[in-house]
Formats: sequence, structure tokens, C-alpha cells
Amino acid sequence: MSREAYQVPTASGNNSAPGGGTNLSRTFDTEGVTMNYICGDCGFKFPLRRQDNIRCQECGCRILYKERTKRMVQFEAR
Amino acid sequence: MAPSAGKKRAPPTAEEIDERNMVGVNKETVTNTTSNDYPDNYANEEHAWDKDDFRRSFKVQWHDNQQFEAQFSLIGIDASIANAFRRILIAEIPTLAIETVFVNNNTSVIQDEVLAHRLGLIPFTGSKKVICDVMGFWQKPAEGEDTWSTTFDTNTVGLSLKAKCTHNKDAPQDSKDPKVLYHNAHIYAKDITFDPLGGQSEWFTEDDKIRPVNPDILIAKLRPGQELDIEMHMHKGYGWDHSKYSPVATASYRLMPTIKITQPILGEDAKKFVQCFMPGVAGVEKVTRQEARTPDSGYEGHEGELKVVVKDAMRDTVSREVLRHPEFEGKVKLGRRRDHFIFSIESSGQWDSDELFLEAVKTMKRKCSVLKPQVTNMVYTF
Ligand SMILES: [Zn+2]
Repeated sequence: MSREAYQVPTASGNNSAPGGGTNLSRTFDTEGVTMNYICGDCGFKFPLRRQDNIRCQECGCRILYKERTKRMVQFEAR
Repeated sequence: MAPSAGKKRAPPTAEEIDERNMVGVNKETVTNTTSNDYPDNYANEEHAWDKDDFRRSFKVQWHDNQQFEAQFSLIGIDASIANAFRRILIAEIPTLAIETVFVNNNTSVIQDEVLAHRLGLIPFTGSKKVICDVMGFWQKPAEGEDTWSTTFDTNTVGLSLKAKCTHNKDAPQDSKDPKVLYHNAHIYAKDITFDPLGGQSEWFTEDDKIRPVNPDILIAKLRPGQELDIEMHMHKGYGWDHSKYSPVATASYRLMPTIKITQPILGEDAKKFVQCFMPGVAGVEKVTRQEARTPDSGYEGHEGELKVVVKDAMRDTVSREVLRHPEFEGKVKLGRRRDHFIFSIESSGQWDSDELFLEAVKTMKRKCSVLKPQVTNMVYTF
């Protein structure tokens, strides 16, 4: 079967996108994520408010790390 | 009668033709490397390229034909054509590879960019029919167009990789192996899952879905609390764009080595001679009675002694070790056949090695059919 002769089977819906395939799109949900901090000493994860001491709730360590962003980052695999 | 027409030169003997086709491999030089079978090179010889001549003399010999490893010889072909096949194999046969990586989360020690690059190089396989006939090439959307306006189930394959490393509560106390201590300590290519898009769930059957060729490729190592959450889009591409699209791990050729023993090598020298080559290239045999009785054979009076014979010159690496020893000086001539190409094609897994060569021939034909009308037009213009 040649590429030209092949008919792409389409779903019953009236999809008018070029190529006849299903148009694909992506959505991202970044709402409702609380910002956690990670203790540099014991690795404990906990939320921190503005007026709180910058201090681990478990061990008292004063070095805290922010979590990595949960937002999608796009890369080219090159 | 034309003034220059004198006595016609005799046509070349088989020996002469053989000599013309030989690249000389000497102690410090390589001689006679260029083709010489073209018109006006030899007096009174035609040598214009002729289809029937080619059809008569061209030969293909298979040495090894495994699924992903093929070795064969093309005999009676010019280096330019053999090299064109090699280059097409490497750069002009399309395959499917990971092109875009969407990192939702990656807390492992391997950086996003490096991880994306690693993912791109993993060879994948799946239904050949669908990849070849249904899947087309993805195009970048035009300026101002929606990002996904050119992304369809007919040109994109979705993959995802989600893994979280945790402590293994059931691990033995004295255990030190991270793979035992933690769940998901090592993330392999087999952990990548295929997400069928649109019609793909129908086109790719369960046994023929998109999957890595080698399931045990290590992608990343995790420790408890670290996490990977990645989505990927695969597109079709060419090796000339990026080597991840190349269908071969390597496609190469070498010329057939020749070893000609010009004077007999006997006794202890014979054993030393054999040691100068890879196993199986040369061997020793006893001089027969008949040889010993043949005058001018060089074996007279040496019946029963050991002599050197060439067993399989194809296995020779042409290391030229034999030329370093004074006792073999003038007794052996190394060379390569200029029109005998030993191809070696190692597929990266999406296509079979023999399929790839046939595809390269097809691609070459297509290119020629593009060139042909252009040459014709060129002739008409003048
Ligand atoms: Zn702490």
C-alpha cells in the first residue's frame, strides 16, 4: 500500500483539519498548587507562609530549598 | 587511413585487467587508487559505461544476513555508486525518533536538556507498515499559527515517562544495592509508555505498538523523593537533520583485500608468515609430490615441507605486518580489489538491515529520476 493510496480512518465526528487526522493539543494545569520548601538538612517538605521563620519545622535547619517548578518546560531532543 | 592509425594494440589480457583493478598496498605507500575504466584512458579500448556490460559483470554476494546485521559484497561497481549507497543509508532514509520533550517535572540529578538529548537518541520500533505508509512528516507551524495546528495523529507519536522513586520497606537490612533498597531506582527505556493519539490505537496493534528496540537502555537513576514526569512527541526525520534519525548504527564498506604469494615461503618462515595475519587468513600445507616434481614451481625437492597458502583473504585487516619482515621481502604482494565492496550494515532497529539496503537503492532511483529530466533539459537548452 502506498502512502497516497492509504485512507486514514476518521472517527464519526466531522473533523475538517488538514491531513484528516485528529488535531492534537495540550493543556496545562498549574492552579491550586501550594508552594512547598525542602529542608537542606533532613529533606522534610513543608509549606511556608510569608511571616514564618525560615527554619525547618522538624530539625531547625535554616537552609531551605524551593521545589522545582511544576510548570511544563519544553525541550528539543537534540 | 588516419595518420595516427598504426598497428592496433592487442586487447588486454585477463591478467592485465586484473592488475588494473588492484590497489597496491605497499610497505609505506598505497598505489593505483583511482578508477581507470573510462573512455580515452586506454588506446583502442571503449570503456564507455554500458548497461548490458554492467548487467553481465555486476555481482552481489551475501556473507551474513541477520535481522540487524548484514554483510554483503557488491562486485563490479564504481566507488562513486557504492559510496552513494553508503551515504543514503546513513543520512537519507527516514526513521521515527523523539523530537520534542515536555518536562512537567524532573527532580533527578540529570538536567532536563541532557535528559531530552538522551531520550532523542533511543531507537524505537513499531509497525513498519504504519510508520512507513501512514505516518508522514511533521511540519513547523507557520508564524502566527497555533502551536498544535500541524500536529496530527498521522505525523506525531505521543510517549510518556512517569516514575517516582520510593523507599522499599521490604528491603533486607544489610542490603546496599539501590535497586533493592528503592523502587524505581533505575529508569529504563522499557518504562516509556506509548500514548496512542487519534486513530493510532487502531493502527498500532498490541504486538506492533511503538516501543524501544532495546528495552534495557538506562535513561536516569533516581533516589527516594525524586521524580520524573515527561511527555514526548516523536516525529519522522532524516539522518541529515540529526543522527538520531539515522536508521543505521553504522553503514560502511571496505575493499576486498588480496594476498598474492609470488615466491614460495617454506618451513619456519611459513609458520611466521601465518602469524602475521588474523586467524583464518593464511595457513600452511605440505608441499605435494606433484608440486615438488614440477620444474620452476619453486617447490622442487621440498616434498613434505610446509608451504604457505592463502585461505580467506576477506578476513585480512590489511595490517601490513607481513611487509615489516625482511624474510618475506619480494615474496608477497598485498592489495585490494578496487571494484569489490564489502558492505556492512548494522541497523539501529527500526528497519531490518537488508530492507535498508533495498530502500537505499529505491532512494537512489528516485534521485536519478529527478536528475534525468534536468540533464535532458540541459541538452535541449544548448
Ligand atoms: Zn530539616
